[in-house]
Amino acid sequence: MRRVWFAVLALVYLEHLELSMKVGTAPICAYGQAGCHILSLADFFDRVIQQSSRMHGISSDLHSEFEQYFFPSKNSIGKRKCHTYGILTPDDKENAQRLGREELTEVILRLLEAWGDPLSQLYWSMSQDQNQDFNHYSSNKALEISDMVHELRDGVEKMAEKMKLLGVLGNTVSYISPESLVPSSALSFYKQGEFNSLDHHDLLYCFRRDSNKVKNYLQILKCTTLPGLDC
Amino acid sequence: MSELVWQHETELVTVVTVQKKQVKRGLSVIICARMRRDLGLVLLLLLSAAVESNSISPPGKPVLVGCRSPEKETFTCWWEPGSDGGLPTMHRLYYETERLEGVFECPDYLSAGRNSCFFDKNHTAIWVYYYLTVVASNALGNATSDPFKIDVVEIVKPNPPENVTLLLEGREDSSYLHVSWERPHNTDTKSGWVTIKYQLRVKQENSNEWKEYMSGTQKHFNLYSISPGVTYMVKVRCRLDHGFWSEWTNTTYVKVPNYLRNEKPFWILVSTLSTIPFIAAACVLVMKRKYVKQYVLPPVPGPKIRGVDFQLLKSGRSEDVISAFIINQNFSLTTGSKDQTEEYLIVTENENGIADPSNSQKRKKSLIIPGFCLDSEPPILNDCEKSGATNQEIDNYVKSLSNMKPSQLPAQEQQCNFVNADATGHQTSNYDNTTQTFANSSYVDIQRHMENIQEVDVKQVDYRRVKEVNGDNILILPLNSSGCIDVQRPKDNISEDYSKVKVVDSDNMVFLQKEKVSVDTSCIEKGIYYTNFALQKPINTSKVEVCTEVINSEYVDTFSAPPLI
Repeated sequence: MRRVWFAVLALVYLEHLELSMKVGTAPICAYGQAGCHILSLADFFDRVIQQSSRMHGISSDLHSEFEQYFFPSKNSIGKRKCHTYGILTPDDKENAQRLGREELTEVILRLLEAWGDPLSQLYWSMSQDQNQDFNHYSSNKALEISDMVHELRDGVEKMAEKMKLLGVLGNTVSYISPESLVPSSALSFYKQGEFNSLDHHDLLYCFRRDSNKVKNYLQILKCTTLPGLDC
Repeated sequence: MSELVWQHETELVTVVTVQKKQVKRGLSVIICARMRRDLGLVLLLLLSAAVESNSISPPGKPVLVGCRSPEKETFTCWWEPGSDGGLPTMHRLYYETERLEGVFECPDYLSAGRNSCFFDKNHTAIWVYYYLTVVASNALGNATSDPFKIDVVEIVKPNPPENVTLLLEGREDSSYLHVSWERPHNTDTKSGWVTIKYQLRVKQENSNEWKEYMSGTQKHFNLYSISPGVTYMVKVRCRLDHGFWSEWTNTTYVKVPNYLRNEKPFWILVSTLSTIPFIAAACVLVMKRKYVKQYVLPPVPGPKIRGVDFQLLKSGRSEDVISAFIINQNFSLTTGSKDQTEEYLIVTENENGIADPSNSQKRKKSLIIPGFCLDSEPPILNDCEKSGATNQEIDNYVKSLSNMKPSQLPAQEQQCNFVNADATGHQTSNYDNTTQTFANSSYVDIQRHMENIQEVDVKQVDYRRVKEVNGDNILILPLNSSGCIDVQRPKDNISEDYSKVKVVDSDNMVFLQKEKVSVDTSCIEKGIYYTNFALQKPINTSKVEVCTEVINSEYVDTFSAPPLI
């Protein structure tokens, strides 16, 4: 009986740990002790970067699966655009460094905001698809990244608030949803008729790229804000 | 001939030049006679030369083999040219991007070697697709390769780490290998543009298997499980973000020196020397085991009963055992020595009430038998009584007694009068505290101590019985044989009762405590009864009531007196 109790308690504890790991928004120093703010911001960064890295990894896997099953030819030319093409993102190191913290944060938030809905719809669409064997695991992954996008967005927002409090971030960061920059219905952007696997593939490729951007921008943001051992 | 520096073309030129010279010579030498034959030969030669130069074709299709970016800031692409078609062929690379409109040519063909194109920082864009093509062209035509699509993020493969150093650290018996290295110099981790992760692998020289360890972002690693005297081989590699792994570094060797073997003989010596005293101690113990046993496990002593022979008991002869017990029994006779003078009668189980003879004189108490001695001669002090009894008191008592109704006493053969001046109200001073009260006695054990008076009977132990109780707390103790008290039994079958003895005053007198009011109504009628006789105080109450009462108590054997009234 004791073993059962112990196992149950251990499970509960582990679950709590895992849950607390996922959130990534609660600071460690809750009472604002001296010298504590910087530390908690570093933790913020670490968690956010960790989550974005994980999100990118899952989206890469999903995209590779699609490629493997549906598109054996790698070098299909098709010039395709992503629905986030309107959001201007720095495409090399110098441009990113030239951008500054506030704009960089804004770009990150815009990107994350733009992907919230499409991923949910992707998940919904994938779960409706007939090919059940393939889609079972893929739809789980799609659900996961859909959740993670929302969490990451909240996390980055809170982190930006904290940075504003600490004074490392100016107040020009705005949270305007990028409706003007992004097509209102993202899915229709990808749709070529019925929203099918082809569109899934395109969408996933775009998301894979954007998640990589987000992760990289966050890393740059961290190293410009908190230059330390990891940078 | 053209002035191109292509290798095969220069060869052709040389050949043709040689042939031409030969032709000229031939013509000059054989001019007349063999004009036609030589001319034919010459023509033949020219034709062959012409035929050779006629296997020219447009170039073959080149193939793009791959691209690579070592630090995610620049990248290089390589191609494989096809056949050149016999003519010098040029290759050009053209690219298009997602972002920019138009077709661009490779900015740098040289930096990366032959058949390559190097894109520097200004021309490199991340997260952007490049569509590359190579065009081979010669005098006869062009050939275009298949398009090659790349995103720089997907072609990242860094250079291997640099300066791998191995250090042996730690103490001799717990040493470890400290491996350290540096990042490839062209990667920029400081700005956070890339994140490098390392991996190393280790192999013992004579083993075939590599052990791999992940080092994360650290540039050092500690190997703890190393054996002395073995040479280890270590390699390190790295990768950026999610890109490809770099090549392994060159193998670094380290040999772990031998520590333990030098120390072995020393430890063997120490261990053998330390075992010698233990062996010696063991031998001593074995030889002297009897003493050791006695010391460590002493024999358990058997039971000891004084006067009892344990062996006798063990032999099991019961008569002897019992006799042994009996012999040892030593009931102490409850008499004192003859020296002791006891004038009074002590009724006790436990104690020896020894009083001075002098005290006894004061003892007046004695049991009163009202009526008992009335008939007879005037109260005499019994020889059991103390000689010190005052006559006056006796007289008083007798008088008082005479006032009372005589109690009916059963006729007794020998009755002694007891004169007791005991009136509790009387002279308390006469009475010592030596009167002893005894709470519980069923049988009155009278101790008769030796007195100086000669008439004292020397009976040692005697038991008396209460004959009658007439008044409160009056106990009649007839003496026998001494003439004092006769133990007499009533003629009638009166049940014997027991009373509690309160006070023993003299040899012959014992005061009983009246416990209850008896059934005897005579007392009640009389209204005289004695109720409160304090145990501890010998004389408190003043009344000496004569009441024929039957004291019923369980302690002293009393004769229930018939109602006297």
